[in-house]
Order: sequence, then C-alpha cells, then structure tokens
Amino acid sequence: MTMSVTRELPADAPVVGPDVTLTSLSHEVSNRVLMERAPRWWWVGFGLSFPLFILFVIQLAWLFNYGIGVWGVRIPVAWGFAIAEYVWWIALASGGTIVSALFFLTRSPWRSATNRIAESMLLSAVPCAGMMPIMHLGRPGFFYWLFPYSSVMGVWPQVRSPLWWDFICLICYILMSIFYYYAGILPDLATVRDLAQTRFKKIFYGVLALGWHGSTRQWQNQRITYAIMSAIMAPMVVSVHSVVGLDYAGGLTVGWHSTQFPPYFFFGAVISGTAVIVMLTILVRWGYSLQNVLTEYHLNALAKVVLTGSVMLGFAYVWEAFGPIYGSDVAARTEFLQRMFGFTAPTFWSEKILNVVIPQLLWIPFVRRNQPLLFLICLGIIVGMWQERYTFTISGLANNYIPSYWGVFYPTVWDWAALAGTIGLFLTMFFLFLRFAPIVSIAEVREIIEEEKSK
Amino acid sequence: MAIFRPSANLFVSTALIGTVILGAFLLLAIWVVPVVGYNTEERYAPEQPIPFSHKHHVSGLGLDCRYCHTTVEETSTAGMPSTKICMTCHSQIWTNAAMLKSDRQSLAQDVPIRWTRVYTLPDYVFFDHSIHIAKGVGCTECHGPIGDMPLTWKAHTLYMSWCLSCHRDPAPHLRPKDQVFNPHWNRTPSTPSGKTLMTAYHINTKILSDCGICHR
Amino acid sequence: MSPLNQRARTYWRSLEELAEKPEFATFVEREAPRFRDIVNAFDRRRFLQLMAASMALGGLSACGPEPNPRQLLPYVDIPENVVLGRNRYYASAITQDGYATGVLVSHIAGRPIKVEGNPDHPASLGGASASMQASILTLYDPQRAQLVAAHGQIATWENFVGALHDRRKRLLARKGDGLRILTGAMTSPSLIAQIASVQKQFPGMRWHQWEPLNRDSEHAAAIMGFGKPVDRAFDLRKAERIFGIGSDLISTAPGNLAYARDFAAARRPAETGGTMSRVYAIESTPTLLGAKADHRLAMRPDEIARSLRYVAGLLGAGPQDWTQQESAHATWLKAAAVDLAAHRGATLVHAGREQPVEVHLLADAINDKLGAIGTTLRLIAPVQADSEPQRQSITELADDMASGKVDTLFILGPNPVYDAPADLDFAAKLRHVPFSVCLSLYDDETAVACTWRIPAAHEYERWGDARAFDGTVTIQQPQARPLYGGHSPYEILAILLGSPITDDYTMVRDYWHQRAQQENRGDFDAFWHGSLRVGVVPKTAEPTISAALQSNLAAKLPPTAAPRANGLLALFRADEGNWDGSCANNAWLLEMPRPFTRLTWDNAALIAPSTAEQLGLSTQDVIEIAVGQTKVNAPVFVLPGQAADCVTLPLGWGHTAGGLGAGVGFNAYRLRPSPSEWATPITYVAKTGDKYRLATTQGQDRILGRDLVQEGTLEQLNDSPQSIVKKSKPESLYPEYQYPDRAWAMAIDLNSCIGCQACVIACQAENNVPIVGKDQVLDGRVMHWLRIDRYYSGPADAPDTTFEPVPCMHCENAPCEVVCPVHATVHDHEGLNLMVYNRCVGTRFCSNNCPYKVRRFNFYPYAFERDRPPNSWNPEVSVRDRGVMEKCTYCIQRIRTTQIDAERENRKIRDGEIVTACQQTCPTQAIIFGDKNDRDSAVVKRKATPIDYVLLDDLNTRPRTSYSAVIRNPNPAIEEKQS
Repeated sequence: MTMSVTRELPADAPVVGPDVTLTSLSHEVSNRVLMERAPRWWWVGFGLSFPLFILFVIQLAWLFNYGIGVWGVRIPVAWGFAIAEYVWWIALASGGTIVSALFFLTRSPWRSATNRIAESMLLSAVPCAGMMPIMHLGRPGFFYWLFPYSSVMGVWPQVRSPLWWDFICLICYILMSIFYYYAGILPDLATVRDLAQTRFKKIFYGVLALGWHGSTRQWQNQRITYAIMSAIMAPMVVSVHSVVGLDYAGGLTVGWHSTQFPPYFFFGAVISGTAVIVMLTILVRWGYSLQNVLTEYHLNALAKVVLTGSVMLGFAYVWEAFGPIYGSDVAARTEFLQRMFGFTAPTFWSEKILNVVIPQLLWIPFVRRNQPLLFLICLGIIVGMWQERYTFTISGLANNYIPSYWGVFYPTVWDWAALAGTIGLFLTMFFLFLRFAPIVSIAEVREIIEEEKSK
Repeated sequence: MAIFRPSANLFVSTALIGTVILGAFLLLAIWVVPVVGYNTEERYAPEQPIPFSHKHHVSGLGLDCRYCHTTVEETSTAGMPSTKICMTCHSQIWTNAAMLKSDRQSLAQDVPIRWTRVYTLPDYVFFDHSIHIAKGVGCTECHGPIGDMPLTWKAHTLYMSWCLSCHRDPAPHLRPKDQVFNPHWNRTPSTPSGKTLMTAYHINTKILSDCGICHR
Repeated sequence: MSPLNQRARTYWRSLEELAEKPEFATFVEREAPRFRDIVNAFDRRRFLQLMAASMALGGLSACGPEPNPRQLLPYVDIPENVVLGRNRYYASAITQDGYATGVLVSHIAGRPIKVEGNPDHPASLGGASASMQASILTLYDPQRAQLVAAHGQIATWENFVGALHDRRKRLLARKGDGLRILTGAMTSPSLIAQIASVQKQFPGMRWHQWEPLNRDSEHAAAIMGFGKPVDRAFDLRKAERIFGIGSDLISTAPGNLAYARDFAAARRPAETGGTMSRVYAIESTPTLLGAKADHRLAMRPDEIARSLRYVAGLLGAGPQDWTQQESAHATWLKAAAVDLAAHRGATLVHAGREQPVEVHLLADAINDKLGAIGTTLRLIAPVQADSEPQRQSITELADDMASGKVDTLFILGPNPVYDAPADLDFAAKLRHVPFSVCLSLYDDETAVACTWRIPAAHEYERWGDARAFDGTVTIQQPQARPLYGGHSPYEILAILLGSPITDDYTMVRDYWHQRAQQENRGDFDAFWHGSLRVGVVPKTAEPTISAALQSNLAAKLPPTAAPRANGLLALFRADEGNWDGSCANNAWLLEMPRPFTRLTWDNAALIAPSTAEQLGLSTQDVIEIAVGQTKVNAPVFVLPGQAADCVTLPLGWGHTAGGLGAGVGFNAYRLRPSPSEWATPITYVAKTGDKYRLATTQGQDRILGRDLVQEGTLEQLNDSPQSIVKKSKPESLYPEYQYPDRAWAMAIDLNSCIGCQACVIACQAENNVPIVGKDQVLDGRVMHWLRIDRYYSGPADAPDTTFEPVPCMHCENAPCEVVCPVHATVHDHEGLNLMVYNRCVGTRFCSNNCPYKVRRFNFYPYAFERDRPPNSWNPEVSVRDRGVMEKCTYCIQRIRTTQIDAERENRKIRDGEIVTACQQTCPTQAIIFGDKNDRDSAVVKRKATPIDYVLLDDLNTRPRTSYSAVIRNPNPAIEEKQS
C-alpha cells in the first residue's frame, strides 16, 4: 500500500489494491469460507455473541410466560425499549440497504466490495427489528391478526393504522432483502463450490448455487434481476423507514405529532446503518486481512457518508427543537423542555453530542482513515442513535397532555435483557455469515479490477 | 468426478416450484382448517345423561318450546328446564323408564342433571335469546331442524362470521312472530317479505353490526 | 353450616402442613402464577392466608365435582324470584358508627353482585359512598374469619354454645355480676331491646359502647348547651351561608350523603338560576367541605377555638371582650361574620366530630344567635342508644378488667385491642378476663386476644335493623346465607338469655310484631313486607323537638386560652378509605386513591409545605414521631392546605391481624392518648434518614396551562356567562360523523363533585375492575377506569382544590381508534367508543394516542392472580385477561340491557332509564348520562348551560363527556383584602 495517510485520497485512487488479480481475489475470498477451522478471533467473537443469543431466547421465554408486565412499560409510558429498539434496528438494516442498493444505482465503485458486508449486516439486523414489535404485544400469540386474511371472525385489519402499514412494509422488506441478498451472492456461491475441496462443502454450496455455471444467459439474467431489485429496494427502504416514522407522526401524542419524522428517521437510518457497516468493514478487513480488497478508499467513502448523515441529522435536530418552541402548543413546549431538562436530559444531550457534534471530526481526512478513531466514532453514533430513539419515544408519552397522568419510565432488567439479547442475535447471525458466506462480492470486485485495468 | 450431474438442474427447478406450491397450500390451510367439521363441531351430538329427543317431544307430542325453555321470551338465557319441569309429566308417565334414571336421581338427591352443552359461546359473547325472539328470528335459524332431532346436535358453526352474516343482512332470516316457535315453518308466497318484516320490527341493520352489540 | 365449616377446617389444616413442604412452591407456581409478584405485594404469611382462604373457599364452593365449561347445570327446582339473566334489587341497610344508610343490593342469578343506594332511604336518596360500594367485596372476602376458636384452638359452634350455657348458669347465680357487653355505637331497636332484656335477667350486667371515632364532644356539647341529649339534623337547602369548622358535613357525618346532595344542589348556579351558597371553612387538615369552600383558612386547633370565639363575639353570641383579642385573620373572620349576620335564618355553622366541646358549644351558640335552629338546623331526640361518653365508658371497662371485676365479656363488633386509647393497654387487661367472646368479621387483634372468637355474619348475611341519622328505621334483610359460617349478635345474646329461639329472623320479626301492635300499624304482614320491600319502616323518623340553648355560654367555657407556644401537634383523623380500621381489609378501599393525597396502600404523616421546609422533610422521608414514651415510624407526605405545625395521622391502618389490611401502613392509634383523642402535642419528630416509597396515582398537581379546569365566579356567571369558558371550534377537513338515532353523552359538573371517590369504587364494582397491588400502582399500572384528578391552584399553603372525575371521553373523533391495527377499539353508531377485549392484541398504541389517558392495560392477569371468588364478578361484564386494553364503556352492559328491553317492548328508551354506575352512586348528582339527540333530556339541558366545556378542545377530538366549569362565590370583602 503506497498511500500516505495524511493526504486526502486522489480522485483516481485505486479502489482495490494493484496486486489483486481476478484469480487471487477468488481464492482470497473463497478461502475464508472454505478454510478448515475458523481463526481464533472468529471463535472469540462468536463465543461472545452466542451467550447473548442464549440470553435472547431466555428473555423471550420469560416474557411470553409472565407477560409484558416484566418490562418497565406502564401507563402513560406504554411504549418502552421494544419500540425504540425496533426503530433502532430497522434503521441499521435500512442503512445496509441504502449502501448496497442506493449506491449500486449510483454506480459508486467503492460500494462493490462493501455491499456484501452491508447485506449480511442487514439480514442479521432485520430479525432483531422484526422480533421487537411482536415481543412488545400484550398477546403476541395473536400477531397474525394483522395479516389481511378472511378469518372466521369476519373482521379485517384496520388499514388506517400506521402500525398496519408498518407491519406490511416490514414483511415486504424482509422478504425482498432475502431475495436481494441471494440474487447477489449466487455467482459467488458457485465460485466457492468450484473451489471447494471436501465432498460435503461441494454439495452444500452446490445446492445453494442452484446449478449456476456462469453461462452468458445466466449472467445476463442475474445482472438484470439484481439491477431491477436494487431499483426496487432503494425507494422501498426510504418508504419503509418513513412509514416507521409515521408510527410516531400518526400519533396524537405530544412530541410525536410532527411531520418531520419520516425524513428524520431516514437520516437516522443513513448514519446509523453506515456506521455499523464501517465498524464491520474494519473488523472484516482486519480479521480476514483483506486490506487490499477493502482498501482505505472504502473506509474513506463510507466515512463521508456517515458525515453527510450526521449533518442531515443535525438539520433534523434543529427542526425538532424549532417546532415546539416556535409553535403555540403549550403541551408541546412543556414536553420539549421536559425532554431537554427532565429525566430524559442525560440521553437527550449525549445523543446530540454522539450523533452530531463528534462526527464532525470526520471533516478531517486523517480521522476518516484512522481506523480506531473511525471505529469509536461509529460506535458512538450507534449508541447515540439508540438514545435518540429512546428519548423521544419515552418523553412524549411521559409528559403528555394530562399533567395528573405524567409519568416516568424505569427500565427493568428484562428491558435490558431484550436489548442485549437482540444484539446477541445480530452478532451471532453476522458471525455465521462471516464464516459460511463469501463476505466480499467476488463477481463485482472482479468487474472493478477489470475497470481498473482498462484505466 | 462431478458431484452434480446435469439432471441436478432439474431438481433445482422442481424444488423451487415445489416450495411455491407448498406455500400456496399452507396459505390455503388458513381457510380450510377452521371449516372442517372436526373444528366446527357441526352435526355433533354429544353424549347426554338423558337421551332427550326434541323430535319426540316437539314434533311427536307437539310441546311448545316455551313449555321447557321458560325464560326464552323474557331474558338472555332460554332457560334449561329444571328437573321439576321434566317431572311435571314424568311423575305421571314413564315413571320407571330406565332412561329417566338420572332425572329421578336428580330430584331425589336434589343435585342438578349434568347436561353437556351443544351450543357453547365464549364468555366475551353476550347473546340474548329474548331480543331475537322479539324480532322474529325463529329458533330453527340457529338451532337448525331442532324439532326433528332425535338427539340434539349442533346445526351451525357459531363462528362470528356466521353471526355477522345475519346481523349484516337479517331480512332473509325473519318470519312472522307467530311462527317463531314453529320448527317446521317454511317461507310461503303468502309470508310477508323480509324487508317488510324488517320495517315492522324496527330493525336497524347499521347498529346490528356494531361490536358492542355482542361484546361488552 | 357445619358441613361447610368442616370442609373449611380440613383445608385450613392441610394448608398448615402443606406450607412446610417443599412441593408448596411448585404447587403455588401451578395454583397462582406470578407467585413471585404476589409475594412482593404481600409478605409470605399473608400470602399463605390468601392461599388458605382461597382453598377454604374452593372447599366451600365445591358441591360435587366442579362443572366443566362444557357442562350445563339447570336448577332442580327454580327458586322463586330468580330469573336467570335478569337482575333484581333487594333493600337493606349498612351501618357506619351505628347509623344506617339504605342500600339496594342487585342480585344476578341469585347472587348479590352490586350495591346501590336506596332512593327511598333518607340517608342515601339513591347515592352510595365508596365504603358502601366496597361492602360487597367484604361480603365475598375469602380472608374473613371462618372458624370458631377457643383459646386459639379450632372449636365448633356447638362447643361454644355448650360453654356459654355453663357460663350462663354461673352468671345467673351471681345476678350477672361481672358480665359486660361491649358493642359499637348502637341504633338497632331490636338489638337494644334484646340487650335490655339481658339487663333485666342479669341486673349486674353493664353495657359499654365504643367507637374510636366517637362523637362524644358533640353529645357533651348538646347536654351542656340544651340541657339534654339531642342530635342535630341539618337542612342545607335553606343554608345560603355555611361556616364549616373542620366540618365532616359532606364526608363522614351521619347523613353525609343526604347533606352532600342538598349541598351540591344549592351550588349549581347555572341550573338554579344564578344563586348559590357561600361556604367558609376553617380547619387544620383538608376536608371535602374545605375543598369546596369559597374561602378557607388552615389553622391550628387552638387558633380555631380562638377564631370562633372572635366570630361569636362579633355576632353577639358571646361576650364582647372576645372580639378584643387580635387575630392574624381578623379581616377574614370579620368579613365572614358580617356575611353570616346578613343572612340571618339562612346560615349554618357546623363543626366536625374532631372538634372539642368548646367549639361545638360556640357553633350552637352562633347557630342559635343567627336563628339557624329551627330553619337550617333542627334538633331531634338522639338516635343512638344513650350511653355515657364512650371514652369514659371504655376507660372504666378497662379499669374494671384490670381490677378483675369483669369475668365475662362479650365484644360484639368493635376492635378495642386495636383502636382503644393507647394508654389503656386494653390487650393486657383483656387477659385478666377469664371468659371473653369476640364476634368479629375478621380474626383481628381483639379476636385473637379473646378466649373465644366467633366469625361474625356480614350485615348482608343476617337479619337486623338500624336507624338512620334522622331516626328512620330500616329492617336489614340478608342478601345471602352466611358464606363463611358467620353468626349474628342476636344468636349469641339469645343463647346468653337462654331463650329457645336463636335465629335472627324470628327474633327481629317478633320484635317488630310486638312493636307494630303497640303502634297499631294494622296488618303485620303487609307492614313487614312493605318495610322490607321499600327498605324503610314508615313513620319512624324522629320529630323535631324544641330545646332552648342555655344562655351565659361564656360562663361555661374556660377563659380564652392563650396562643399555644409553638410545637408540633398530632391530629388524629379518620382515613378516607379505611375509616376507623373496620374497612382496612377491603382491597378496593386500600387501592382507592385518597381524595387529597392520591395515596394508595399506605397512610402517611401529612405535613404542611411550610412545616416540611422548616423540618427539612420531603415526601417519602420516614420520620419517628414520639408522643410521650410511644414512638411510631411514619412516612411523610407534604400536603398543600394542611395547617402549619400540624401533623395529621390517618387512623385505621397498620393492623397486626385480620385480612389484607394487616401490616399495611402504620398504626396511628398507638400514639392516641385517651385524654385528648383528636389532637395531642408531639414530643418530638426525628428524621430517620430512610425513604419509603408511597404509591400515589397523581403525576403533577397543577394543570400547567392546559384548559383542563375552567373556573369563574358567580358574578361572572350572572353578568357575562360566556366569558367563563374558552371554547375553540377547530375546523376539520373530514366530514363530521352523523348520529341520527341515539347519541350517548355524559355531563360532569365540577362544582358538584366533592371528590368522595364513590364513583371510582362504583365503577370498579360494576365493571369487574381488578386491583393490582402497591407495587403495580408504583409502576403506574392502576386499573381504575374512572379516576378523580385533584388539581391545586394558588399558593401551596392555601391552595384552591379542584376535583375532576375523568372517565373515557368517548370522542367522536377518537384518536385511539385510528391507530389500532386490528379494529379492537371502534366507534358504534350511537357514538360509543367501544373496546373489544377479545380482539385486542395489546399494541397499546391506543393508550399512547389517548390525550386523556383513560385507557388501562392488563400488564399482568390482574383479574386472576388475587383469589376473588369467581361468583363475585359481575356476569354482565367480561373479565379481562392478560395483555388486553380496557377502559370506561359508559357501562355499555346497562345500555344494552335497557336497549333490549325497550326494543322488545317496541318503545323508545326513556331519559334517565339508563344510569351509569358512577352516575347512580354519585351522592351529589354531579354526573348525568343520556341521549344527546333527545332534546329535553337532562344531559342536553346541562350541556346547554354556558359554562359547559370539553377537555383539550383544540385537539378536535369532540368528546361526548363534557364538564361544567367550577363556579366560586367569593366574598368581595375578603377578595379585596387578598388582592
């Protein structure tokens, strides 16, 4: 690597290291999947994640057995961690889609190497997001009543409810994401199959590859399908996350009842999603020593996206404050003051700092390419985003229209268990992806290499 | 050596199509499962302590429903006949019939007869017999050909959709008040149309399909 | 009865063994999920009691194998008057300090389910108090005493009868020497007669009466003032000016429901054509009357006495020199005095039972001077059986017990070991009594201290009679056979008398048979059944008697006391829920938010903000209060409107035995000395440094600029009525819903609401609202469908208090409906906002979206985790399970029943034919429910008044529940002074 770390990268800087060739790439990536035993760091990571996953299962059992009462939710704060975290997770997932789909459409070269990481992340985050709304139901067993099917009750779902839009969006989003991922990874699975040594792996990846043999026709179909799906996914992710925003905007709750939520949420998705991808990229890069495939070029670009996100978010925060202060609604103003100086004050201020103030460091090229710093900033953003979701979910409910029914929210151990548990679920799934699926899109990086050559 | 022969591709496509079809079937189950007889218990006649025959008492002897189901016109419950009511006749006739043993026992030991419900509604459904009677809904509308049942069996699913089918469009199910307790009544050309009966009984369909009509 | 007893006992025993076994835990897990949480809510011992009781009940209820849901059990022979699916009312009465209030108990399928006030009864007029509403729960309470016990060993009723016979022989020999009977305040004619015959048979017998919240000073004052014992009955319709001195007129005084009715009726200017009474209140601790007063002063008891002398002096009801002493509140008092004098013959001065004799005398004197006697106040012959002052009586009893003069003691009702003055040490002296019998509803402190304890029959389980505040007699008829083998005092006394007839029915009936003959009331059966049906024995009200107030009052009174040197004062007051402790085992009352503190499941030492500041105390601090040698630890509650330097200690808490109330709160009786029952100097108050979590149900005390409480003055109302309430009519893009036929609506008059909480409990009883326990209240999960918000305005030490009942608003544009994804909450065509429990999946979005926060969620299966006899639920209403939302339904079950009846008879529903539970019980008729489309319905009339408004108007939710603004009638003279 001949790049100095002080200067900004030249515009024509190589996306992948010069020493990466088509064959070497295939072997580089496939070997990570086909290697006999996983590296120690993988076992460490997985070893840390799996217990958390077990915790997820335990808290799930406890919750369903004893009921929603084990959480800190109450009247008036009837929505607690679960919904805040639902929004948080779905934002992370959306971020993945944005990077992989949106930037595919923009033909950003740096996207190709990171998109698989993004998609794996998205697929690991989506179940966490999906579980939350079901967990938070009073009668989770009946969640399927939201499906529009003609039941023997002769009643249908209530299509005016934001929750229902949300439910439908989520279902579509999850299904689409899976297909999207699969459509993208198909050729790579074939590559892995071809390089596989043991009979078992040959069969395993062979079946997954669905008989892909790289004929022009197959390539043609794959590329077209993939392009079309990206074209669908990109707007979809925007709408999905906006609809999540409507859960709040649609509510007649102080501090929620605001049209700014859809974009506000989308900005949040951009920044938090990208932040996770950055962290994971750094991990993969280091762990699988793919420094010359996942170059600083990628990190640099991603960091810029994060920066953009945080600026957009800052804009949203200004509006968040402007509305209640400028507006004439007493309740809204008191609520916002409470949010800033009431029991939610700590999270309120730290969220602003972590999401907007600190990320401004990314203006400095050095910071953008200093991996530990970048990692920490992104970690801060993830935490900050969680605090943001938590703060406005709780505060609006706690300081409502009726002073006699103001309340506070104390999370219980099971609230925290739910958070830790879903993180466990996420990491466990991601580590499995790391181990058993090509984590860099071989096919697409090959294209890049070809382009590089032709330059 | 190749693990996958070209024919393997065939499996792939069949597998893919197979999953789609399977999914379709599972979806279909959502509609099918609830309506299979086993679940609806339609035409289900449970074991009873006394093999009571409506056929015999109603069609045979011509007893009026209200002779035993005394409160059907005034309150929510039709009223299961007390042992005493059975005994008004059976203290005179069939006094030693074996099949009436538990009836006599009940009277002697002053413990109720333990019938098994044929029509059972969940606790959150508040059904009122009297109003249905008052609005010209005949017994057989829900209880089927009760007058011809040697053993009482369940004539309808009692699913909410079934209730609603009538609550949303009661007209076809109405009859002249004097025919309400007639188990063999049939619509004849002379019977007034459902529409006319609706107006006669002041039935407001809008309100009928409100949830609060049955759920409190 | 005995078979039931048998079964109950065996279960009880088996539990004791079981409790020691390890399987117990697992068993409990099966029997009562969330065992963990219940244990959090109750300590283990009480939990065992719960389980024991529940199993005992299981024993009671199980006659033959349990019927499974698929089974159908018809009657063998339908009992008369029972029509399944129809509810019927039976009249009776329930007593508090001996005075009867008429009730109608509604029965469904032969089970008593709900208590209502008896409209024909002078003390109820159809209204019912919270404790009356809750009495039905006590009837079913599985923790009630169920076993006869001798020296703590389980015995049988037969054993007791045997023992009593021997006792009787000995007593006869001794002419009843050493025989004592202790009852509560007694108004029951038949029981008084029976005790009289006991007296005849045993001349040596002595009868004591004891009520911890006795009205001795009132009676003493009457004797001093009028020369003979008299009761005071009031007529508030005539009272244009009311002067309350720590007055319990509309809260706990005998006849308070009737008084409250008239009180409120005279304070609805929008309906009475621009007139309303003016109320002054001086008091040491907030009372309901004080909260409604137009002018209120909080002052120490000694200040009260002096101020009253001042007023008396001004009005010429006392010597002139009384007016000489300077007082901080001179202007206020003078203005009040002038105002009173200006309304001669239309004023009423009333002092609460806690006030000393002096104050009562002064009150009488002023009333006499202002010509109140004969107009707003009438004197009647005392209704209670006459007895010497109760404090003296109980003291003498205690002394005699100590000196061994008492060898047979029957305690029929009261609980002296718990509530007798602390310095008597009743418990210790009771041990000197060789044969003591306690007849009590619960195995309470006294019951366990007596040699014999007999489970008492609830007032709904026995025959009897009792008199109302005006003397009217009600014959109490049982609503159910004793559920837990209770016995009545009649039985015990009858056995003592050795009479062959021991069943209460015959005794009560015979008594009235004789009496009917004496009063020649004609055909007895007609009279008897008539009285039972109506719930009132005709022509038994006491006539007004004339008694002249003796003059030279000043001579009677001690010279004006000098202002007390500062120092904390402990005030002992009845608890708004637990009363004197006799209601302390009632779950509904324990969880009922107290009107001012909004506290549940605890009492607290109430301290004024200023005093709290001086002492450096804040709410939830635990303090040690010492009176003389006795110390008690109590949590502090800082209460606006409390008099400075006064620490109010609510009585009736901290039982050590009995039911659910055992171990809840602290026992203020331990500090209560016999010489000064109501106020006593505190030796010291020390901050322990501990904190104690108090479960209040109110978030903020003030309305923070919302339009929740709108108020104006009488002047404003008469001059420019429109100026009082601010109405905004927000435009909507959507077409309005049309309600062509019926449109249910409710109107609540904030001026009439006195914050008594009766509606809250009525709603709980009617709608199967479960209790949740202290921990869950702390977690903000209290379930009351109807709550009464208490808002303060003005300075913290002298605030204006407003009570605001908040049921569901049934908004026409209901925000809750649009956000439910499964149609679980929807609007019906009559404008009801329905909640379909069985469709609810529990997203709780509706609650978030409800601006009024009236929705309640079953975070746990509250309805099923506390053992409540299944047959005590109201079968007309679904019992909600875990994970579903619920809320006020405007008592839809009542609407439906009436609707179906009307439809069946092909007629319209008459106005007032449907009354909601809260409306029916409200003593002041603050709540009106009806059809908004019926032009001349009461609800439309009230909504038509210019002061009608809806909450959070600008949200455009178009609520069906609207409020009438608070109208105050301030005295200009005083207003000027303050401004």
